[in-house]
Amino acid sequence: MGKITGFLEHRRAEPGHRPPAERVNDFNDVTVPLSPEEVRVQAARCMDCGVPFCHSLGCPLANYIPDWNDLVYRGRMEEALRCLEATNPLPEVTGRICPALCEMSCTLAINDSPVSIKAIELEIIEHGFARGWVRPIRPVRERGVEVAVIGSGPAGLAAAMRLREHGYAVTVYEKDALPGGILRYGIPNFKLEKHVLDRRIALLRESGITFVCGVRIGEDISVRYLRSQFPAMVIAAGAGTPRDVPVPGRELQGIHFAMEYLGMATEVVCGLLTADRCISAHGKRVLVIGGGDTGADCVGTANRQGAVAVHQYEIMPRPPEWTEPRNPRWPEWPVVLRTSTSHEEGVERDWAVATKQFIGENGRVTAAEFVRVAWERDPATGKMSMRELPETHFRLPVDLVLLATGFVHVEHGRFVTDLQLKLNPAGNIAVDAASMTSVPGVFAAGDAVAGASLVVRALSQGVRAAAGVHAYLNRSSGAATRP
Amino acid sequence: MNATVLYDSRYEHDACGVGFVVDIRGTASHQTVTDGITVLKNLVHRGAVGGDLTTGDGAGMLVRIPHRFFSRTVRDHGFELGEPGTYGVGFLFMPPDTEEQTVLARMVKEVVESEGGRILGWRDVPVRPDTLGDIARRTMPFMRQVFVQFDGLDGDPLERKLYVVRKVVQRRARELPPERFYVASLSARTVVYKGMFVAPQLEEFYPDLSEQDFESAFALVHARYSTNTFPSWPLAQPFRHIAHNGEINTLRGNINGMAAREGTLRSPLFGDDIVKLFPIVTPGGSDSAAFDNVLELLTMAGRSIAHAMMMMVPEPFGQKFHMSEDKRAFYEYHAAIMEPWDGPAAIAFTDGVSIGAALDRNGLRPARYTITRSGRMVLASETGVLDIPPEDVLEKGLLGPGTMILVDTAAGRVRKNDEIKAQVSRTRLYRRWLQENRIQLSGLFESPHPLPVDRQVLTTAQITFGYTHEDITTTLVPMVETAQEPVGSMGDDEAPAVLSERPQSFTRYFKQLFAQVTNPPIDPYRESLVMSLMSFIGRERNLLEETPEHCRLLKLAHPVLTNDDVDRLLANTAGDFRCAGTSMLFPAADGPEGMEPAVGRLCDTVERLVDDGYAVIVLSDRGCDAAHAPIPALLAVSAVHNHLVRRAKRHLAGLVVCTGAAVNVMDFATLIGYGAGAVNPYLAFETLADLKARGAAFERMKVEEVFEQYITAVKKGLLKVMSKMGISTIRSYRGAQLFEALGLNSAFVEKYFPGTASRIEGVGITEIARETLMRHARAWEDPRPDRILDIGGHHRYRRDSEKHLTTPEAVVALQRAVREGDYTLFKEFSSRIDRQEANLCTLRGLFTFRNVRPPVPLDEVEPEESIVKRFVSSAMSFGSISPEAHETIARAMNRLGAQSNAGEGGEDESRYTPDWSGDTSMSKVKQVASGRFGVTSNYLVHAQELQIKMAQGAKPGEGGQLPGHKVDPLIAKVRHSTPGVMLISPPPHHDIYSIEDLAQLIHDLKCASPGARVSVKLVAEVGVGTVAAGVAKARADMVLISGGDGGTGASPLSSIKYAGIPWEIGLAETQQTLVLNRLRDKIRVQVDGQMRTGRDVVIAALLGAEEFGFGTVSLMSLGCVMMRKCHLNTCPVGVATQDPRLRARFSGKPEHLMNYMRFVAREARELMARLGFRTVDEMVGRADLLDVNRAITHWKAHGLDFSRVFAVPDSGGLARRCMGTPRMDSSALLDTSLIEQAREALEHRRPVRLTTAIRNRNRSVGARLSAEVSRRYGSAGLPPGTLHVKFSGVAGQSFGAFLARGITFELEGDANDYFGKGLSGGSLIVYPQRGSTFKSQNNIIVGNVCLFGATAGEVFIQGMAGERFAVRNSGATAVVEGVGDHGCEYMTGGRVVILGETGVNFAAGMSGGIAYVLDTSQLFDTRCNLEMVDLEPVRDPEDIAFLRTIIRRHAELTGSRHADEILRSWDDVLPAFVKVFPIDYKKALERIREQQRRSSDEMTITEEV
Repeated sequence: MGKITGFLEHRRAEPGHRPPAERVNDFNDVTVPLSPEEVRVQAARCMDCGVPFCHSLGCPLANYIPDWNDLVYRGRMEEALRCLEATNPLPEVTGRICPALCEMSCTLAINDSPVSIKAIELEIIEHGFARGWVRPIRPVRERGVEVAVIGSGPAGLAAAMRLREHGYAVTVYEKDALPGGILRYGIPNFKLEKHVLDRRIALLRESGITFVCGVRIGEDISVRYLRSQFPAMVIAAGAGTPRDVPVPGRELQGIHFAMEYLGMATEVVCGLLTADRCISAHGKRVLVIGGGDTGADCVGTANRQGAVAVHQYEIMPRPPEWTEPRNPRWPEWPVVLRTSTSHEEGVERDWAVATKQFIGENGRVTAAEFVRVAWERDPATGKMSMRELPETHFRLPVDLVLLATGFVHVEHGRFVTDLQLKLNPAGNIAVDAASMTSVPGVFAAGDAVAGASLVVRALSQGVRAAAGVHAYLNRSSGAATRP
Repeated sequence: MNATVLYDSRYEHDACGVGFVVDIRGTASHQTVTDGITVLKNLVHRGAVGGDLTTGDGAGMLVRIPHRFFSRTVRDHGFELGEPGTYGVGFLFMPPDTEEQTVLARMVKEVVESEGGRILGWRDVPVRPDTLGDIARRTMPFMRQVFVQFDGLDGDPLERKLYVVRKVVQRRARELPPERFYVASLSARTVVYKGMFVAPQLEEFYPDLSEQDFESAFALVHARYSTNTFPSWPLAQPFRHIAHNGEINTLRGNINGMAAREGTLRSPLFGDDIVKLFPIVTPGGSDSAAFDNVLELLTMAGRSIAHAMMMMVPEPFGQKFHMSEDKRAFYEYHAAIMEPWDGPAAIAFTDGVSIGAALDRNGLRPARYTITRSGRMVLASETGVLDIPPEDVLEKGLLGPGTMILVDTAAGRVRKNDEIKAQVSRTRLYRRWLQENRIQLSGLFESPHPLPVDRQVLTTAQITFGYTHEDITTTLVPMVETAQEPVGSMGDDEAPAVLSERPQSFTRYFKQLFAQVTNPPIDPYRESLVMSLMSFIGRERNLLEETPEHCRLLKLAHPVLTNDDVDRLLANTAGDFRCAGTSMLFPAADGPEGMEPAVGRLCDTVERLVDDGYAVIVLSDRGCDAAHAPIPALLAVSAVHNHLVRRAKRHLAGLVVCTGAAVNVMDFATLIGYGAGAVNPYLAFETLADLKARGAAFERMKVEEVFEQYITAVKKGLLKVMSKMGISTIRSYRGAQLFEALGLNSAFVEKYFPGTASRIEGVGITEIARETLMRHARAWEDPRPDRILDIGGHHRYRRDSEKHLTTPEAVVALQRAVREGDYTLFKEFSSRIDRQEANLCTLRGLFTFRNVRPPVPLDEVEPEESIVKRFVSSAMSFGSISPEAHETIARAMNRLGAQSNAGEGGEDESRYTPDWSGDTSMSKVKQVASGRFGVTSNYLVHAQELQIKMAQGAKPGEGGQLPGHKVDPLIAKVRHSTPGVMLISPPPHHDIYSIEDLAQLIHDLKCASPGARVSVKLVAEVGVGTVAAGVAKARADMVLISGGDGGTGASPLSSIKYAGIPWEIGLAETQQTLVLNRLRDKIRVQVDGQMRTGRDVVIAALLGAEEFGFGTVSLMSLGCVMMRKCHLNTCPVGVATQDPRLRARFSGKPEHLMNYMRFVAREARELMARLGFRTVDEMVGRADLLDVNRAITHWKAHGLDFSRVFAVPDSGGLARRCMGTPRMDSSALLDTSLIEQAREALEHRRPVRLTTAIRNRNRSVGARLSAEVSRRYGSAGLPPGTLHVKFSGVAGQSFGAFLARGITFELEGDANDYFGKGLSGGSLIVYPQRGSTFKSQNNIIVGNVCLFGATAGEVFIQGMAGERFAVRNSGATAVVEGVGDHGCEYMTGGRVVILGETGVNFAAGMSGGIAYVLDTSQLFDTRCNLEMVDLEPVRDPEDIAFLRTIIRRHAELTGSRHADEILRSWDDVLPAFVKVFPIDYKKALERIREQQRRSSDEMTITEEV
């Protein structure tokens, strides 16, 4: 259980960051990880709670956090790795980019400071990779049954891995040129260097998982063909339809969805695209609409590309500041003002600002107009409603507008329409408790089901979908009769 | 009695007063009979009366046949008797119906004649039914005596013939329809008069006893206190040979053992008649009756009665005891022949010629004797039961543990323990026989070798047997690191095995039984010398013979075998001692239906091996593979064991089990408890070897050490499990089946675990097989690479694993609700708990309500404020939880007008005064627990309720320790101890070894705190209802039934998980038993244990509770997040810690707890409206409104049947709830007049001197007087010497209990048990009656357990005290001239001077205070338990001055000549004094630190709360 009195003896330590002035010049990872010794000390702070909220309420994957904390503290790294791998298919990803809901629900977050769970997780998996303990999947027996996975984002990869472990032959279809989905194209390199992803993909290829990239299901390969080839499939296509900002002037050039912008920026970093062919913020006044993580990623990317000024506007009010290490809303994710490394690198942030229109010259955007808003909660329904404040209109000259206002739902592409999948009210794919869609044998997972959310949630759904597929194929084939 | 309710007469208990009067020279007189009756009358308070308040639990007398009387009286019936000793007298209980009597009489005649005798005549025994209580009269049998003669027979042959006749008659009678037939006695030597009486009724009912020519040389009497009042005339005592005070805990194993032995019983004395004696143990009898049956067999077949008693109730004979080698050999030889009949016992016995008494090894029942110069001896549970002039007293003594005394009337002399035993031990060459025949395999128990382990194979095996990561980290590793069981906290909220979705270890369907009230648990650590794990296995021979071959068995020092041991055993070629192995596997392909036939085949195989002459059979589940799954070892063992018992072959071979399923202590306990002689946990060893091999643990140990540490942990755990039930030896624990099943169906239990209680039905062999196959499939069907074991989740919550009632979501919802005062949020919490379709964790989760009553409007239901007054926060001691938490709870409950419970740690007096706002943090309920910490007169008067904690849910039957590092100055002050020094709570209350002792403590407390109600806390287990009935008869005001799953205290994990059952069953059983006994309207019932919501409250009320306790959830509402780390002092929310840094984090407010309580009441109220109840009172006991929720579908739960839980027995027109508690009988209270006469002292603090006579029926003298003082003057009391009372005579129990400062009691005479109990500053002086001629220092003057829990005061005793002198003394100073065993045990303060001999185990667990012992024999160090104390000469001038002064005062105050002599030769005597002092505070600290270092950073101590 870590050390019994560890939490009383040691203070929380977190990974550091390279100085902003330095890191803004490159796209390399901004973090400076804790040393293995520091990680071990941090693991000693875990109290091995009788009811571990980190594991049970915080982590969507239900990672065995207290168990591997203990193993790390005791220096039993390989066992820690096995324990981590048992629930988390991609710890090297979550160890880097997860917002760590677990830490917010750590019992020590009630009145102290949480265990640095994320840093510990990263150390376990990187230590494992360094020692060669992370091995390709070698199922004990091949079932000779094929399963298709559509989409190679976190949900798709998780499902593919778990299915492969059960001995299925897995083919992953990816519309982009390289596998990884949002992990590759949505998350900037300075948060998740792409070689981390390549390392995993290589391992999965070695495991026997086939990746077919640059193929759109329903366009390049028919759904009917897939159905005939695969007794089961998992749709993990993400929530690809972005939310728009439908105001006058939206059609002007220089206004882009964040994903388009971020994806291109990463392709340039990785040498897949030349700089001149990508949307660049170089020398521009940049406006990011949307105050979330994607918006912050845009800010960081724009600064690295050499933007002259970066603004980030959010329609919701400014959250309260909170500087203490404990969580005021334990064990929930607290709504407080968050300042990411990208923000530290230079941005002007504003809140409670609604976009009224874009103004352009020669078809290119040159400015945007806003109004300040106030939010009120309806005491009866509890719903928040927005009211524009009179005489608060203002303008901002801009050259590049990036819309980071979230996603609506899964793309209603051919695989949705051809299969006539039932959708839920939000417009995403409806599934049952076993992750199966309205069509038998067709499963769905990740943002395509839940709407845009965290990578860690997508992973957990991918795992669950794989279990659903396994149970489904077992039942339908009558192979293993479990008592 | 009634299969539709939970009450079962098998769980009745009794305890009592016992005694005899004997003319040593064997002269018969009527005076002896009269004296016997006087003894009985003076023991009346040790018996009990039933629900009708007039029916006694039984009393009786066994006498020599009064020949003169019978000769005279039978003449009126027209026949003559021959010479004394030539005819037999039978005392028969017949049915009232004359036709039935005729049939029975004819049958008796047939039997007598077919045995070659004739009936001389019949006599209707005159009786006076009008003297009886209603219940007794309704069931009164018709009493007849029959006189028989066998020509040419007399003496022993006649006795034997009469024995055969009686056994045949009894068997024949059982075949006849009338059931009310019983032979009280049939003998040519003795006759038994007994019945359902309170003691004085015996004489009134049987006019025979008053006839002047009704003469006997002895009278053996018995007054019974039973936990039930169901009429049972035959169970009154004495039986034909014994009268027993106490109880046999190992009865099931003993009876099974006897049944099996019938197969090989032979005796030339009986010849072919032997089969007529079967069954030896008459079915339907009590434990004492069964004991009588076997003792009778052994003596009739030729052993002397002393010999037979030594076999059945052996002394401890371990190497720690300094004893004769022949005697040790005698006991060891007989250990191979018969297991002990274990349990607290004072047994008076007779064969008609000799009469004697013996005490069991623990000596837990009192037996005091007086021998007179005029040639008589009186022995009884108390002294003073017969008035004897002081000048006639030759000797006053007390039977010590394991000792015996015998009056041989033929020889006309008293034979003491050593003489008797020396003679018996040398009747044969036991020592030589043993040396030559006993088998000790060479190499057995030598250091085991390292084991080579293949990881892949190991993991698969581990999964097959259900190992989890948690089992390894929380069970196996700590067991090795600390060599004891791991500790946990906060009870058990896991779903019972039968409600779990996941395959469960089969052991999880069983719960350990434990002793509460009716017999005491033992302290396996401090009193380890009486405990033994040694046993013999092999082929037993004819019980009735003694040959050298009888001990040709394998001797095992303990029952845990290593893998090497098993190999050696199987390879053993000791000629006639052969060993065979057989497999416990079955073909997985046969599916769940395949297990039952496989078990059958296994039984047949083993039987065949036994027939082939194998002496040891090894059952093994090694060798599992894809095709073969293991039968659960426990099932296999019990099936084989019971199969062999049924075939009367069980004693012909020993069973050894090699199993992968044995991991924790419970696994071993169940295997042994159901018949295994030894267990080899091979997979546990392999797992440990693997952990060691890959450096995952035990870096600083060699692998051999790892194994040894694990074995030590198992051994300690087994001792603890046995001691919980009050059992001392593994020989009698084996096969004793001291478990109850939870969730197994009765067909299954009857077949494989016969005799085990299982009250709610459940799964059978198919489901068990299915669980096994699920694990097997997981291991073998779908193996994945690099897999890890299941993570676990039994102890700590893990998502998607075992279900727990307290989910993280529930904790969060509750805390938010009470902080924000939001009832809607509370409903979210309660729906998470109650909505059990999703999370079925409790039995009540399966319940639903029958809406048969019209709903009532909410505003007509009694208000929230009134309901909440029935709520109480469960006992949590200050010391286990922080002062902040403890006071917040008290404040909250006081503001609500509800109650908080102080727990057992005392209470700071500053809390008795309200603060500036009028708020008070005084706990209204104060506990009186086994440690008696802080229990003073002042503490007692500041309580509205005094709760006697007999057991607690987390660890019933166990004591605990508060480690020194938690004893800070405040805790030390409140507990009257030294900071930093460990405090020990003994497992038993040393003043409660049986039910009549409990009645005595209740009496003490009612005296010590007039007006306070007295409650008794019990934990649910099978039979708790009968214990509760006993509690009601002891006149407690309330009985608390705690669920076995509740409890916040730190306890061994296996106790948390495996002892006690849910309150639903325990409460229902209590309600039903009390109603059936007509006692329910006389006592209130409270319940607690994992209570959470309004629905829980309503269900509890319907099942019979009037009050409701909340423990865990109270803490949760104040910030507890179920860390389950209370035992580590690291509670991060400041609730269960004494660390000031962490206490500062406590954020609970009284309002939070108040909100919680109100919300629960509100919710209950809403439910009451829906169910149509306006008051809680209306709901109590309406279990008929409960039903099973059919909507819940669960593959295991569907077999559950709650009809017995929901049963509502007929109450005979009485209320099913408490209508008022009976007033205590104060007729014998001396205090009433003392208070009256001491008014000047009490009111004006002026000196008063009083004198009064006293006798043994005057009990608890001084307690009420002290209450008057404490109430007026608090703990300061009166100025020294204010009130002086001089008593003369024999004081009853608890003389001077809780005596307050300023009061002096001077007693001329002697005193019974519990002298000076809880002494609170007063002074006690006792000396023998003037005119006595015996040497005071050699004679017992005060009884057992004197000064128990004394906190202050002075005591001077001229004479010896019994066992356990000054146990838990924390401040009194005492001088005494000798003590029995276990003196100064658990003492934490004060000074004790002993001017004479001590018994063994002196100073066990003594952590404070000082004792000075005059050690003239220089053997004291062999009798002292040196674990916690050092011995030194008295050299320090301060010590010398103290000693001399106090001895001088002793001489002055008591007139002790012995003290005078010591003072006269002071310089010569002083060097013989030994100073016993506990290793001091500093050393204690060092040791704790050292211990911490050794066990890495694990804290291993079991904590008490």
